[in-house]
Amino acid sequence: MSWRNELLAVWAVTLRNALMGSRNVFFFFELLFWPIVGVLSIGLMSRFLELTPEQASFVLVGTIALSVINVCQLEVAYAVLLDVWSKSLKHQFLAPIGIRHLTLGSWVVGMVRSSVVFVLLTVLGWWAFDFEVLRPGWLALGTFLMGCFLTAWVVGVAVCALITLFGNRAEAFAWATVNLVLVLAGIYYPVSVLPDWIAVIARAIPLTYFLDAYRSYYGFPSEFATPVATGLALSVVYGALAHWAFLAAIQRARRTGLLLKMSE
Amino acid sequence: MVSSNRMLAIDARDVEKTFRSGWLRRRETHALRGVSLAVERGSIFGLLGPNGAGKTTLLSILATLLTPDRGQVLVLGHDVVREASVLRRRLNMASGRPSFLWSLRVGEIIAFYGRLYGLSGARLRRRVETLIELCELQPYRRVPYSDLSTGLKQRVALAKSLVNEPELLFLDEPTLGLDPDVSVRVREHIAKLRREQGITIVLTTHYMREADQLCDEIAFIKAGRILSRGTPGELKRRIRLGEVIALRLDPRRVTWLAEAPGVLRCVEVDGWVECTVDEAEKRLPELLRALHNDGVVIRNVQVREPELEEVFVELAK
Repeated sequence: MSWRNELLAVWAVTLRNALMGSRNVFFFFELLFWPIVGVLSIGLMSRFLELTPEQASFVLVGTIALSVINVCQLEVAYAVLLDVWSKSLKHQFLAPIGIRHLTLGSWVVGMVRSSVVFVLLTVLGWWAFDFEVLRPGWLALGTFLMGCFLTAWVVGVAVCALITLFGNRAEAFAWATVNLVLVLAGIYYPVSVLPDWIAVIARAIPLTYFLDAYRSYYGFPSEFATPVATGLALSVVYGALAHWAFLAAIQRARRTGLLLKMSE
Repeated sequence: MVSSNRMLAIDARDVEKTFRSGWLRRRETHALRGVSLAVERGSIFGLLGPNGAGKTTLLSILATLLTPDRGQVLVLGHDVVREASVLRRRLNMASGRPSFLWSLRVGEIIAFYGRLYGLSGARLRRRVETLIELCELQPYRRVPYSDLSTGLKQRVALAKSLVNEPELLFLDEPTLGLDPDVSVRVREHIAKLRREQGITIVLTTHYMREADQLCDEIAFIKAGRILSRGTPGELKRRIRLGEVIALRLDPRRVTWLAEAPGVLRCVEVDGWVECTVDEAEKRLPELLRALHNDGVVIRNVQVREPELEEVFVELAK
């Protein structure tokens, strides 16, 4: 496949997801309502507990990261979910495209949507709770956001693989697992407060390292030697594993007939 | 041998497919049991059979949506398992129960799939316009898919299936649930595609008349096996259903007709008495003579081959 066709296939999926998103009122609900509720709840709780501005920033960074990842990973999962819901999956896999086009195209829309969420939440955090998002500088902010997007990509592709493996009844299970894993990444607390065996799991999650690196600019010394490099390396490994799992799930679905069952 | 293979759009040999389900996947459904099939390029090939016969399974394997358990399948000279990605550029599919993303509009659906097949810019716009015109979808270009009627959805599916100008087109029950006038137009489209663009078409259908009108060749499939194949005429002769002599007369006067020599069965249909006979050329004069001698007034006589439907019923037994 030529580079032109590669980009065109990714663009086709990007455009499709963007059109679907722009016509669904619930998509806007996902985009705004829950993230805003999250930041307001956590911000008000930090005020009630009389946390220092640094401590409040610590939990707000976690809350904003969770919202960004949730919005982005949901969009990546739409690579398969939209077609599963509309029972048009077979047309997608009848065309000469690979899963990379589906996941990358959806990821692009996910990054745009979650960037909007990020801007809204940081403005809200600054206005209501004096949260200074730019204190770490643009480079650290960019790295942190990229870490969130990479984590979302891994999670979204893993959800796609689970749904293709077990059918759409696996949706709830897939997201429950994903949210559990994310909470273990130290969204609201440092990994050091976790029991040893849970800390081991937390250290295996890329987001743990991106949060750690970003929070170090708010006066919380890093718990890891090279958090950004470790987070990136883990993201690449998990990304490759998730991609392989999705590919294997599609091949299995072609073998078992699940691909047809999830279609017309 | 090589040159004859080049003329084949599909060359499938001993294809087997078993679906497993239930607890520990112990329940087995043998969907295809050693199916072999050859379809010539540029022809319209019909797959007929009752529900659950294996038609859609076979079609899905040929279209690379399903992998066979055993057997070799070459489509347009490519192996459907090893060379699936090359093959997918050259084929497409539409089904009688189409489904696409609900809030995309007609033009957007065709354009989305066009981009997946490498079309862009002016070429994509031209292709979308051509297909919208071909499938008479102009007034519905901006209508969301979920707001379309069944017939319009099927036309969108047909338009989508032509977006890559396929050499081989699979149509899974293309006129299912359509009004008769729309069905006629869809059949005309199908015939035109082969006539004007030389596309090889493989279609599954329940409608015998459709298969009879459209197909150069037909295969009857039941319980995962091809029971018989040939041109519609060949099949009718091969099954030896006999020819039908239809007589318009007073049926109360001819109760003895079913017992006459060479008459295999006799039924009354819409004011006609239809006698299936072993050999119409020989039996027609005999019957007419006997009826004349009995003083029966014959108002009309027709001789015809059996309907494909009768062949289907016979094979499906």
